[in-house]
Amino acid sequence: MPSITFSFEDLCSLVGQKLDDKKLAELLDKAKAELDSKLSSEITVKYNDTNQPYLWSVEGLARHFRASLGKVKGIAKLKLEKPVDGVSVDKSVSSVRPYIAVFVAKGPKLTEYLLNQLIQMQEKLADNFGRKRQKVGIGLFPAGKVVFPMTYKAVEPDAVSFVPLGMAQELSLKEILQRHEKGKQHGWILKDMKKVPIILDAEGSVLSFPPIINSDTTGKLTVGDSDIVCEVSGTDWSAVNLVSVIFAYALSERDFSITPLKVKSGKEQIATPDLSTEKMKFDYSLVESLLGLKLSASEIKGLLERAQFDVSGSNVEVPAYRRDVMHQVDIVEDVGIQYGYSDIEPLPLSSLTTGGFLPVSMQADTHRSLWIGLGFQEVMSAVLSSKELLFDRMNVAAGELIEIDNPISQTYSCLRSWLLPILLDVLSKNRHVDYPQKLFEQGVVTVRDGSDVRDESHLSAVSAHSQASFTEMRQYVEATLKSIGLSCQFEELEMGCFIVGRSAKVLVDGKEVGIVGEIHPAVLKKLSVLVPIVGCELNLSSLKK
Amino acid sequence: MDFKKLAQSLHQYERRVLPELEKHALVSELVSVTGLKEIEVNRALQWLESKSAVEVLTEPRELILLGKNGEKYAKDKLPERVFLEALSDKPFPLDKLSAKTGLSNEEVNVCVGGLRSKSAIVLLKDKGLQVKITEQGLRMRDSELLEESFLKNSFPLAFQSLSPQDKGAFESLRKRRDIIRIEVEKVKRAKLTDVGKKLVSMGVRDEDMIDSLTPQMLSTGAWQQKSFRRYDVSAHVPNVFGGKKQPYRAFLDWVRFKFASLGFQEMSGPLVETDFWNMDALYMPQFHSARDIHDAYYVKEPKVGKLDPALVKRVKEMHESGGQTGSKGWQYDFDVERTHRLLLRTQGTACSSRMLASKDLKIPGKYFGISRAFRHDVIDATHLPDFNQIEGIVVEEGLTFRHLIGLLKMFAKEFAGTEEIKLVPGYFPFTEPSVELYAKHPQLGWIELGGAGIFRPEVVTPLLGKNVSVCAWGLGIDRLGMFKLGIKDIRNLFSQDVAFLRDGEVM
Repeated sequence: MPSITFSFEDLCSLVGQKLDDKKLAELLDKAKAELDSKLSSEITVKYNDTNQPYLWSVEGLARHFRASLGKVKGIAKLKLEKPVDGVSVDKSVSSVRPYIAVFVAKGPKLTEYLLNQLIQMQEKLADNFGRKRQKVGIGLFPAGKVVFPMTYKAVEPDAVSFVPLGMAQELSLKEILQRHEKGKQHGWILKDMKKVPIILDAEGSVLSFPPIINSDTTGKLTVGDSDIVCEVSGTDWSAVNLVSVIFAYALSERDFSITPLKVKSGKEQIATPDLSTEKMKFDYSLVESLLGLKLSASEIKGLLERAQFDVSGSNVEVPAYRRDVMHQVDIVEDVGIQYGYSDIEPLPLSSLTTGGFLPVSMQADTHRSLWIGLGFQEVMSAVLSSKELLFDRMNVAAGELIEIDNPISQTYSCLRSWLLPILLDVLSKNRHVDYPQKLFEQGVVTVRDGSDVRDESHLSAVSAHSQASFTEMRQYVEATLKSIGLSCQFEELEMGCFIVGRSAKVLVDGKEVGIVGEIHPAVLKKLSVLVPIVGCELNLSSLKK
Repeated sequence: MDFKKLAQSLHQYERRVLPELEKHALVSELVSVTGLKEIEVNRALQWLESKSAVEVLTEPRELILLGKNGEKYAKDKLPERVFLEALSDKPFPLDKLSAKTGLSNEEVNVCVGGLRSKSAIVLLKDKGLQVKITEQGLRMRDSELLEESFLKNSFPLAFQSLSPQDKGAFESLRKRRDIIRIEVEKVKRAKLTDVGKKLVSMGVRDEDMIDSLTPQMLSTGAWQQKSFRRYDVSAHVPNVFGGKKQPYRAFLDWVRFKFASLGFQEMSGPLVETDFWNMDALYMPQFHSARDIHDAYYVKEPKVGKLDPALVKRVKEMHESGGQTGSKGWQYDFDVERTHRLLLRTQGTACSSRMLASKDLKIPGKYFGISRAFRHDVIDATHLPDFNQIEGIVVEEGLTFRHLIGLLKMFAKEFAGTEEIKLVPGYFPFTEPSVELYAKHPQLGWIELGGAGIFRPEVVTPLLGKNVSVCAWGLGIDRLGMFKLGIKDIRNLFSQDVAFLRDGEVM
């Protein structure tokens, strides 16, 4: 989730009024944001909606506050200067990073605070909305040193060299990717590409190597600069334009004039940013059917305007700085938010439905209560486990398993396929605790049979004490199965974790439903357990009753 | 003091030991006169002491034990015996004695010193030193030496029990190497108190007292002539550990019962899920940041799962263009291959999407599921490798956001015990409107209780075939559970500490 930090005083002055804590919280709610921290002069705000980048600057937030407060209505106005020729896009970028939007902002000299705000906005938009610069990357540089028109093209990585920001000597693009901090950080975006994008000015000076790094000579924005070039490049035109629009709006809030540049790409030409809005038909009755609010058309219009929509009749116009409105329901939500969620009266559900449990959980409950009745303490474990714990320690060969492709640690690298090893692990961690220890766990295990994957409900139990024996556990298994009307037979089983001749398959109607046996001393040794243990595991999913 | 009651509460060990205390004070003596084992006598003394019937004093006692040489001499012969027997009337050269007797030089020297002092031999100087036995020596040779009779005692031997003669032998042997040594041990000495004396005088050796009621007594009726020994009902007894529910599981059971009682039917889904049910069917775009490889556990093998192609087609259309719902869709090329990719379920909402597409879905219907979910997170005090999510849906024609708020109010009341709630606009890719629910818990204060919303038409339409109002919600009640169970570290929800599980209070 993105968060931004700014001066509280600045926010108030952009909003045009002092805000107390309560008002601030209320307005932040309406922006789906929350206060993360507030120091005397500085506040940090965290956003919960990753699809509303127009709010990720103090300027954008203030604009939203003004509208919510009713100080302004509808879409914020931005008057653009006359577009000028500025960028020529070479077709070589079409398969690399095809889109670019550029404008020039002229205004007051940048203060340190404002420069930091711009950089923060650049980072948040590129990281969170631009998918770590892959989808959208942003370059800001002083306009003074640029000789227009600029050229946007793709070149071979060792064909061009320039001095990247923060370095003293010239490096080729390839070297930048290998050696520059930003190159190493963002180089993955251009991985395996034969050609990489570059922006040159009319004199052939490198301005930027998007989305990696600007030139140190021509691309370094500093305090005191007043004319700024804002370049946005990426792989998705509407996202590139959206970010360009958001920047233009933010700078215009700071009294910059915005001069769009014409971006020529073959025969096509477009002035950027493109402020075209989108008109949507809006069905007012949705407010009642979705929110349950009975509101007049003019009340709804008023709320829509507070949410920065322009309204004329049933047409709702969505500002160019928003792209998150996909459906009328998105507009309805904004009506609800501006109305105030806390002012919406709740209604009880009126229809009668019957509640109940799934058969599998009712069966589980039955078995759990039987084993508790036999004096076993219930355990509940994580579902993630490891091959080592499930098989190696048990002297049993690992069968097919659901293993994780990208585990964080080996301890949690696969789904458990049986429970007995987990209970033995618990016993090995409780050697200092009074015996007898009788434990059981009922839960889901996941088994794999080639491409077939299924969850099964299992129950495993262990009894650890100086007299623990096969007979004891067999008695418990027989008793619990008898309690649900099943009679079972036992057939000798050879398995690495059990003592041969003291372990058996549990059969019901000739079908294997579980195993029971005395744990082999070699396994006990691995667990450092010094008392005999007998254990069982039943596949509840295979029991009919 | 009620002596009769006291007498009736005596254990059979106590009844056997008590009368003997008039004559005997030491445990070893009591063992031999009562026929009880040492541990039984000790127990009897301990119990009697706690009843103030005896006083047990522990006093140090010196014990004489045999050393290595002592054991050898006690078994064979003392060196002086060997020495004397080797001598005849004629003087014998001293330097040849060791070879003749088999004694070490040291032993020979000790014998010479000792026997000379007792005038049993004399040393003559004639071609070197010659040993000659005296009259006294001959008498000693024909009778038992004091040292010999001392070594015939059974060891360990209490120092106090030595006779004057033994004492002399003890003193002389003590000076010699490794024959005897002294150890100090603590000895219990029991003495009847006035209470004890009174009990003895009452005749506690009452054979008509029943310690344990046996089936035999019941069948013969023998119990009728006897009285039952009284127990000390307040005495400490050993712990037993019965079986009971795991505390967190018990909490989840409570939640399940709560939902069922509110008219919700349980639902579930598999742990290994496709991208499709986990995210795509919920209208989360495939390029969404929450779908990065770093946020989910993907399955090594098999890589893909099976899906209904017709359903996939409908969901693909939703993502790309919004289909007939009036939505623009996310406007990108939906990757059909990727939607089949298997991962470990990241959210319980996957169960809700399956439920919506299920032929078992009832309208109106209320559903809930408690499901394990997995996030690609490092495990610490606030993150578990896998955790439980509680999710659900209410499907009904004509439901509005007001009904959803009513539902959330009910949850706050049922689960957090409060009517005070706060509703804040939220964001979930699958709901619109979306809301976050905060509840003011009586003890914890404001807590985030969950998220909810009305499923977007892009979610409902392809799964259900039409757009019906579906209120969807997820509750984060682990924190409430931890509070109820008194757990601070979330890892303890899956505690492997048997003592903790045994000692925990049942909810």
